Amino acid sequence: MTSMLEVRGLRKIYRRGLIDRTPTFQLSADFTIDEPAIVGMMGPNGSGKTTLFELVTGSNAPTEGEVLVQGRNIHKVRTDQRDRLAIHYHQSYQVRHFRSFTPNLLLDAAGSAYPVVHLFDEPQFNTQDGYIGFMLDFFRKLRAQGRLVFLCVHPNEKFHLEIIEEICERFIFVQNGTVTTLDTFDALLTHDPARAYLGTLLPEARP
Amino acid sequence: MTLFQATGLQKRFGSRVVLENITLGIEEGTVHGIMGPNGAGKTTCFHLLTGHHAPDAGSIVFAGQDIAGLPPHRIARLGVARSFQIMNLFDDTVVIENVMLALPAFKAQTGRIFGNGFADRRLIDSALEVLDMVGLAGSAWSKTKSLSYGDRRALEIAVALAAEPRIVFLDEPTSGLGVEATRALAALIRRLRTRFTICLIEHDMRFLFGLADRISVIHWGQVITEGTPAELMANKWVARSSLKEAV
Repeated sequence: MTSMLEVRGLRKIYRRGLIDRTPTFQLSADFTIDEPAIVGMMGPNGSGKTTLFELVTGSNAPTEGEVLVQGRNIHKVRTDQRDRLAIHYHQSYQVRHFRSFTPNLLLDAAGSAYPVVHLFDEPQFNTQDGYIGFMLDFFRKLRAQGRLVFLCVHPNEKFHLEIIEEICERFIFVQNGTVTTLDTFDALLTHDPARAYLGTLLPEARP
Repeated sequence: MTLFQATGLQKRFGSRVVLENITLGIEEGTVHGIMGPNGAGKTTCFHLLTGHHAPDAGSIVFAGQDIAGLPPHRIARLGVARSFQIMNLFDDTVVIENVMLALPAFKAQTGRIFGNGFADRRLIDSALEVLDMVGLAGSAWSKTKSLSYGDRRALEIAVALAAEPRIVFLDEPTSGLGVEATRALAALIRRLRTRFTICLIEHDMRFLFGLADRISVIHWGQVITEGTPAELMANKWVARSSLKEAV
C-alpha cells in the first residue's frame, strides 16, 4: 500500500551566501504517515515549520531527499498541478508560487483533482465568533474523505491546547530544524522540548 | 427545487488563489446565507455568482441553464439581480426615478422615439408597487439624497427588485447600518422572502442566523460547512462563542 505522505531523508540547508558556504539554518525530516489523519504541528518561531510546509507542497526545493504524496514525488510534478496534491493554506488568502528549472512539459501530472494533503498555517482561532467549530468540522470532513490534514498551531491560550487535544490524532514537533513525530497527545506533553515550549499552558496535574 | 447551483468554482488572480472550490445550492423560495471571516472570499464569490467575474473553473446553473461566463447583463435578464456593497443610486433624482429606470418596461420605452417613460402612468404605478414592497412608497417623490442610510439600502433593494428577478443577491446589506436600521432590514427581507429567492452574503452572523433557511460558511475559498442555523448553532464551539447569547 502507498503511504499518504513519505518524507524521505529530507534536508534543507540555507547558507550564508554563494561564496561563504557556512550553513545558517538546516532542517532535517524523515517520517511517514500511512493513513488519513489530522496532525498537529508545533514549534517555536524560526524552528522550520513553514519551511517544512513549503517543502511538502513543493514550493521550496529540498537540498536532499524527497517528498512522496501518495507515492508521487511532488518536486517532479508539474508546478501548475502541485496544488492538486498538497495545498498550503495561509492565514487568509492563498498565494501559490512555484519555481522549477525543469519545464512543466517534462514533469509528471498530479494524478489527483482535489488535494491529498492539506496544510493549515496558523488558522486564527478566536472564541468570540464561533468559526472555530466550523473550521474543526472542515478538518474532520477532509479526514473523513481520506485526506491528510496538517494543522500548524501556535498555542498561546489554554483553549488552543484544548482544540489541539480535541482534533489532532498525532503530532509533529519542530525545534531548531529537527522534526520529531509523536503518536499521542500524552507523548507530546512528555516530550521535553514541547514542555518547554508550552510552558504555562501545560495542564498542571497530568501524571 | 434547486434554483441556483454552483459547483467547484475556482478563481485566481495571478498566483493568488481567492476561491479554491465553491459548491453550493440555493433552493427556490428560501433565504440562503453565505458567511465567512474577513478575507474568506465572500465578495469574490458574490461577483462570480452574479456574473461580474468569470470563474477559472466550475459551473453555475440557474434554472437549468449554465450561466458561468455569461456577461452580467445577460445573467440579469435571465432573472438574477444583485445589490452592491457600495451604494449605486442617482442622488440628484427623486426616489421613484431610480426604480423606474430599472423597470424592464421602462427600458423597452427608451428605444422608442416618442416614448417618455416618466409620463407613463403604468410605469409610475409599477414603480410605486416596487417601492411599496420595500416600504418606501411614501417617499416616492422625495429627493434621493434626503433618504436615511437605511432607506437608501431599501431603495437599492427596490432597484434590484424592479428587474423582476427570480433570485436576488445582496452583498453585506447590513454594512454601515445601525441597530434600528438592521432590524428594519431584517423585517423587509422577511416580507420579501415570500416572493423572491434571496441570497445574502453577510459578515454579521447574528443577522444571518435570524433570517436564513440555510447557511454556507466560506473560509480558505471553500465551503467549510453548511446547514440550517439550528444545525450550525448546535456546534459546541459556537455555543461557547458570543454568538450564542446574541441570537
